[in-house]
Amino acid sequence: MHIIPFIIIATPIIASLFFRWNVKSVSLISGFIEMALSTLLYFQMPFHGIFYVDFTEWIFLMMVSSIYTVSVFYSIYYMKDIESRGISEEMYFVLMNLFTASMLFSLLMNNYGFMWVGIEATTISSALLIIAEKNDISLEAAWRYIILVSAGVTFAFISIILIYYNFHTLNVYDVIHSGSQGGLIIRVIVSIALVGFGTKTGVFPVHTWLPDAHSEAPPPVSAMFSGVLLPVALYVLYRIYQIAPYPQLYTWFAVISIAAASIFLANQRKYKRMFAYSTMENMNVALLGLALGGVGVTGALLVLVTHSFAKSASFFSSGNILKSTGSKDMDHVRGIWKGMPYTSTALLLSSFAVTGAPPFGVFIGEFIILYRLATVNMIQFALVLFFLMAAFIGINQNVTSMVFNGTSDHKESGWQMPAIALACAVISLLLGIVFLGGYFNALL
Amino acid sequence: MNPFENVIFLAAAMATVAGFYIQAQEFIRSMIRGQLIQSIIIAGIVFILAYLESSPDLVILGILVLVLRGYLVTALLERRIPGNESYVYEKGIGVASHIIMDLVFIILATFIVFSLVFSGIHFSISGGIAGSTIIVFPLAIFFQGLFLIGSRNTTFSQIMGYVEEENALVLFALFIIPVPLIIETSVFLDVLALVVISSIVVMEKFSHEPMEELRG
Amino acid sequence: MIGAMVNVMDQYLETLLMTLTQFLFVLLAAPLFSGILTRLKSMVESRKGPSIFQPYRDIWKLLHKETVFPNNSGTIFRYGPYAIMGIYSLISLIVPILVPVPIFFTASADFLGGAILFSLAAFIKLAAALESGSNFMTMGAVRALSFNFLSEGTLITVFFAVSLITGTNNPYVTNSFLSSNPIQGISLEHIFATLAFLMLFFYETGKLPLESSGLMEMGMIEEGMNYEYSGKLLAINRWSSHIKQYILGSILLNVFLFPWFLQSSFPWYILDIPIMFLKWMLLIFIVLVIETSLAKMRLFRIQDYLATAFAFSILFLIFGVVVG
Repeated sequence: MHIIPFIIIATPIIASLFFRWNVKSVSLISGFIEMALSTLLYFQMPFHGIFYVDFTEWIFLMMVSSIYTVSVFYSIYYMKDIESRGISEEMYFVLMNLFTASMLFSLLMNNYGFMWVGIEATTISSALLIIAEKNDISLEAAWRYIILVSAGVTFAFISIILIYYNFHTLNVYDVIHSGSQGGLIIRVIVSIALVGFGTKTGVFPVHTWLPDAHSEAPPPVSAMFSGVLLPVALYVLYRIYQIAPYPQLYTWFAVISIAAASIFLANQRKYKRMFAYSTMENMNVALLGLALGGVGVTGALLVLVTHSFAKSASFFSSGNILKSTGSKDMDHVRGIWKGMPYTSTALLLSSFAVTGAPPFGVFIGEFIILYRLATVNMIQFALVLFFLMAAFIGINQNVTSMVFNGTSDHKESGWQMPAIALACAVISLLLGIVFLGGYFNALL
Repeated sequence: MNPFENVIFLAAAMATVAGFYIQAQEFIRSMIRGQLIQSIIIAGIVFILAYLESSPDLVILGILVLVLRGYLVTALLERRIPGNESYVYEKGIGVASHIIMDLVFIILATFIVFSLVFSGIHFSISGGIAGSTIIVFPLAIFFQGLFLIGSRNTTFSQIMGYVEEENALVLFALFIIPVPLIIETSVFLDVLALVVISSIVVMEKFSHEPMEELRG
Repeated sequence: MIGAMVNVMDQYLETLLMTLTQFLFVLLAAPLFSGILTRLKSMVESRKGPSIFQPYRDIWKLLHKETVFPNNSGTIFRYGPYAIMGIYSLISLIVPILVPVPIFFTASADFLGGAILFSLAAFIKLAAALESGSNFMTMGAVRALSFNFLSEGTLITVFFAVSLITGTNNPYVTNSFLSSNPIQGISLEHIFATLAFLMLFFYETGKLPLESSGLMEMGMIEEGMNYEYSGKLLAINRWSSHIKQYILGSILLNVFLFPWFLQSSFPWYILDIPIMFLKWMLLIFIVLVIETSLAKMRLFRIQDYLATAFAFSILFLIFGVVVG
C-alpha cells in the first residue's frame, strides 16, 4: 500500500481548508511539501494499484508540483493589488489548490474513468481563476473555456465507455498491458480520445478556447494552464494512445496543429496571446513525439518539462510587463530593456527557450523528435521543420522589438516578481544543459 | 421484439424529441423544463433496464439521474433566471430554420459517425435488446446538444446543450455497458459542479457574441 | 368455359360496384363529416350550432347563385376549380379510403403518385389564385406558398415512411399489413410518421391552431384563396375541400392511425360505410379536443409547426431505414 500518492493528492485540499487563516503561506508550504513528496516517490516507483506511477508519470508529477509552487509564489505578489476582482484573494488560492489537486488526481489514478473525472474537475476548479481579474472580456474567455472544454471532454467520455466495453475494466495498467493489437473498436477509442482530450491539449480544430483563456487569465494562472494543465491532458491522452498506438492519425493532427499555431501566432498583436499559440505549438510537438514512440517519448518529455518552466517564465514576465505598462498590446510595449532589465532578461531567455533555441531543453527535445520523424515520414519532417522555424522567427522578432526597440520609462514593480520569472527561465536553461551533459555522458 | 424493447426504443426517441423541443424554445424556463423532461425519460429507461437485468446498481443510477439531473440541475438553473423577468427569452430565433438546420446537422453528423465508426462494431446491448442501432439515439442527442451550444448565444442555452450532451452519455453508457457506479456518480457530481460554476457566469454575462479582443 | 366467363364477369361487376360505392360515398358523404365536426364543436362551446347538413345546404345555395368574375381574372381562375375537383375525385379512387382492396383506377398511381396529385391540386389552386387579379387572393397564395414548401415535403416523407414499412409503395398492401400485424410490432418511423401526418392534416384542412375559418380573419390561408370565387365555382371549391378533408382523414385513419376492421369481401364491403363513420368519429373527437383547447397561432408560427412535423417525419424515417 502506497501512502505517498494519497498525501500528494490530499495536501492541496488540506491547504484549501485554511481559507480563513493565511491561505497564501499555507499554499506555498503545501507546494514545497508536494515537491518533496514527489521527489520521494521517485524511490518507490514503478508501482500500480489504486495509483499508477512510472517514470513518465513521475516527470509529470514533478512538473505539476514545481509549477504549482512557483505559480503560488508569484501569485502572492501579483494578486495583491488587483483592481476589479471576480473572486476574492483567498478564494483564488483555494481554487488554485483545488485545481492542482484535481490535476494530481488525474495523473495518479490508475483508472481511466477517474482520469476523466479529474480532467473535468480541472475545468471546474480553474474556470473561475480566469475571472480573477474581472472584466467583460475575461468573463467571455472564461465562458468559452468552460463550454468548449467541457463539451470536448464530454465527447472523450465515449472513448472511456468503449474502453470499459472492450476490456471490462478501466484499470490503466491492465488495459495498457493487455497486449491489445488494435482492431476497429480500439481505433475508435483512440480517435475519439484525440478529439475529446485534444480540446484540452490544443489540437488544431478544437483549440479555440486556448488563446482566449491564456490571454485573459492572470499570468500565474496562464502559467499553470500552459505549463501543466495542457500536459496533464496530454498525459491522459497518451495513456489512451498507449492501448494501441495509431501514429498516422496522431502525427498528422499534430503536424497540422503545429502549422496552424505558427500561422496564427504570426498575426497576434497581444503578447500573452502570442505565447498561448506558442504553447499550442509546443504541446503538439510533444504530442508528435509521444505518437512516434521510442526515443520520441524522451524528446516529448524533455520538451514538456523545459517548456513548463520556460512558459511560466514567459507568462510571469508578461505579468510584470502588464503590471508596469498596463497594456496587453505589443505595440504599446517598447524598449523595456532600460527600465526593466530583469524582466527583459527573463522574457528573452524564456522566449528563446519556448521556441527551441539551443541549448535549451526544448531544442534538444525537438531535435530528438525531428530526428525520429525523419526516419518515418519526410513530408511531415519538412513541414514541422518549416513551421517551427516560422514560429521561432515570429516570436523572437516580436519579443526583441518589445525589449530593444525604442525607449520607455516603465520601472520594475518590486523585485520579487522579476526574480521568480528569471529563476524559472534559468531553470529551463539548466534543465537543457543538464540533460545534454547526461546524454553525452551516456553516449560516451 | 419484446414489448420492453419497444418501450425503450420509443423512450429513447422521445428523449431525442425532447432535445428538439429544447432547441426550438426561445424561453429559458421552457428550455430548462425540456431538460427536466429529457432527464425523466432517461431515468425511466434506466429503471426499465434495471428491472430487465434486475440490477440494483441501475436502480441507484436511476435515482441519481432523477435527483441530480432532474431535480438539482433544474432547480439550480431556474433559480438563476432573473426573478422579476421570469419570461426572459433569447431574441431573434427562427424556430423553423433552427429545426431544419438542426435536423440536417444531426442527420449528417450521426450518419457520418455511425456509418464510419460504429456500424462495423456489433455491440451487445444491455437488457437483451436486439438492435444495436439503438445507439443512434444517444449519438443524435449528443450532436443535438453540440448544435445547441453552437447555435445559441445565451449562457443558459449553452449550459442546456452541455447537460444534454451529458444526458446522451448516460444513455450511451447505459445501452452499451453501464460503467461502474462510482465513476458514474463522480461524473454526475462533476456535471453538477460545472453547472454551479456556469451559473455564476450566468449572473455576470447573459449572452455571448464574438468579441474584437478575442479574435484570431 | 362459360363458368369461367361468368366468374370473371362477376368479379368485374363486384369491382364495379365497389368502385361506384367508394366514389359516390366520398363525393356525397364528405361534406357530412365537416357538418358533424362543426355541430359537435358548437355543442362543446355551449352553442346550438348549425345542423349537420349545413354544408350541403351551403353548396346547394351557392350552386343557385350567380357566378361573377373579377375583371382581370384569367383562364386558370375560371376553370381551375373543375380541375381540382377532378383531381380529388381521382385520388378518391386510388387510396384505401373506404374499400380496402384495389378497385378500378387504383392502378393509375401509387402512394407517391397520390402525394404528387395532391401537390398538383395545390399548385392549380395557387395558379388560379395568382390569376384572379385580386390582392386578397394573391396574399392568400403567397401565404400558402411560404408554408407549403414544408408541408409538401412532409406529405411525401410520411408516405415514404409507411411505404418503407412494407417495402412497397402500394397503400393497400400497407393497410392490410398493418391491420393483420399485432400492435407490438409497430415501428418508430410509423409512430412518428403518424404524428407528423396528424399535424399535417390540421394544416391541410385549415383547422385550429393554424387557421380559423371565416372570411374576416386576417390569418386566412385556404379561405384567402377562395376570396373572389362566387356562385357555382365557390360551391365546387367548398366541395373539393370537403373531399380533400375526407381523403386525408381517411388515409390518416386507414394507413396510419387505425387500420383495423375494414371488410373486403363482396357483399360485406358495404359494412365499410358505417365502419368508416365510426372511425371518423374517433378522428373528429381528436380534432375536437385539439380545436377547442388550443388558441390560434400567430401566422408565421405556422412555419415552426410545419418544421416540427417535417422533423418528426424525416428524422425517424432516416434513423429507421438507413441505420437500421
